[in-house]
Amino acid sequence: MQSSGSSPFFKPEEAYATAAEGFFELMKSFGMSAGKATDWTSLAAPLASQFERWLQMSQAAAPWFPARGATPFAFGAAPAGFGSLPMGPAVAQGGQLPRSFELLGRLAHLQGELARHWSEIATTAAQRFIARLGNMPSAPATPQEALKLYELWVNCAEEAYGATVHKEEFGRLQAELTNTFTGLVAEQRQQAETLVRGFGLPTRNEVDALHAQLKELREQVIQLSRTPRGSPVQEPLSRPAAPERATNPPTGKKPPAAPARPGKRRPPTARAKASTRAKAPRRPRR
Amino acid sequence: MKSAGGEPSAAFPELALQIGLTLNRLRAAAAVEVGCSRKEPVWSCGKTILYRYAPLSAARRSAPLLICFALVNRPYVLDLQPDRSLVRRLLEAGLDVYLIDWGNPEDADRHTDLPQYIEQHLAGSVAHIRGGHGGAPLNLLGVCQGGVLSLCYAARHPQAVANLITLTTPIDFHTPDNLLSKWVRQVDTALLERCGNVPGELLNSLFLALMPLRLAQQKYVRLLTSQPDQRTIEDFVRMEKWIFDSPPQNAAALAQFVRWFYQENRLVRDTLSIEGARVSLRDIRQPLLNLYAREDHIVPPSASRALGDHIGSADYTGREVATGHIGMYVSRAAGAEVPSRIISWLSERS
Repeated sequence: MQSSGSSPFFKPEEAYATAAEGFFELMKSFGMSAGKATDWTSLAAPLASQFERWLQMSQAAAPWFPARGATPFAFGAAPAGFGSLPMGPAVAQGGQLPRSFELLGRLAHLQGELARHWSEIATTAAQRFIARLGNMPSAPATPQEALKLYELWVNCAEEAYGATVHKEEFGRLQAELTNTFTGLVAEQRQQAETLVRGFGLPTRNEVDALHAQLKELREQVIQLSRTPRGSPVQEPLSRPAAPERATNPPTGKKPPAAPARPGKRRPPTARAKASTRAKAPRRPRR
Repeated sequence: MKSAGGEPSAAFPELALQIGLTLNRLRAAAAVEVGCSRKEPVWSCGKTILYRYAPLSAARRSAPLLICFALVNRPYVLDLQPDRSLVRRLLEAGLDVYLIDWGNPEDADRHTDLPQYIEQHLAGSVAHIRGGHGGAPLNLLGVCQGGVLSLCYAARHPQAVANLITLTTPIDFHTPDNLLSKWVRQVDTALLERCGNVPGELLNSLFLALMPLRLAQQKYVRLLTSQPDQRTIEDFVRMEKWIFDSPPQNAAALAQFVRWFYQENRLVRDTLSIEGARVSLRDIRQPLLNLYAREDHIVPPSASRALGDHIGSADYTGREVATGHIGMYVSRAAGAEVPSRIISWLSERS
């Protein structure tokens, strides 16, 4: 058997109970309208408001920001490392606070934009639903009829949602929300780094710089092992020049040495001669 | 626990009773187990573990099959329970099945990037398997994001892969119906990477936000009237468990994946390089089977279908399956169709 991670968001009972509650709330709205001589148009406003509230809650309940704080992140969620932002004066240093406030202001503005979209989606969804209900005579009488009505509502709501969230404008807003929020997280980190540096402890930036150095070295090693040894770029400066005819395979392995033929020696090339000269022992100075 | 009551529940008393019953069954199913076939770890690299499944029938004379799953989810969805297991069907057909589990990255792994995953973890797994099979090339099955990694690997190491299979794998990330792509197109990936690993829950909520009412509410409401028995509830809970069991994403790898594929569409534009070496789909010349889902909301079929136009192989088979993204791995219909297509396609080529 597989051991699965225990996500704090795996709560099927709670999700089921919440969904049931939402379903009954919806049925209640249907019932109320049916009582008014099946005037379905009066259902539009409460339905839109219910859906808008749900959209806002489903975003705000997400763990990107732990508490309500009116800061629902666009995509929803993230705990721990992406948690609350310690913005107090004990944490902020130097000129970092104004930047954080600027980003928080930007975030609030973008959330306002997002709320405008939720409102538009909810209104469109309700209108679509009412239009499709048409001449339905009364509220659902059986659970099956109720579910059928619910399915119609879901279709209308998803269509309205899809029509908005596919727009370029919405995509840009999502990206801006993400960038502003990650900017805030980066600010948070920077503030923490300032504190850590004050205690003479290694910072994450320093660890990252070390890692970048290691990575660069690793890439150089890979490149060296791939490139023919004759390549002047790859040769260490202190080593003598390689023979011109070097044809090492990309693996970096040396080609097998040509068998020496007795009585027939190849004349050395110009570079090889130079190399020989360079290797000649120096005469001691007098 | 919130009350699920209210006036309408009084109007439908049988529904109110049913809710109580289902809640009890959900409680009883909370500890349900996932994953069913026996497997052993045979190699590892960092957090990545390569598993080999125990055979279930006489071995066929074919190359071993390596399954490369996505980084964003857990691979046990391919072996969820005995009657919903792609792995089990492949084992029953006599295939020698290996699986890469990328593990649970920690903060210290945040620099692990895509080239490392492809050239060390995936390549190391392939080398290990081939080493145990006389060095012969293997069959590679890439799932979703794992399909992208598999394509990159196969393009760079054609001699190591005999046949390639991709399942719900995106290739063209800029098709008009790709909502995920639209949302991340302008995300600052450098900033994202600086913030460290991305929690799995964030990705989960991103996926749920693609169709929020359907994915976060409708499936539960359907339980209201379907009067599910304990077994159905257990099946349901297994799926829920998998959906919410997402590993954190390494900052470097995720940022690269978003930038290279979602933003720059490098596979289709033929501009991808890894560790300085060009990676071109044109270099994929081995037989390729591409299976994608008709109602996929995460990887739209248009994103997968494009593969046939960009590879160098003359032996390409693309097939659309009438299901959704997750349905491809666990639905009853796909559970019959997907393994049988893979098995027959492979047997024609071995």
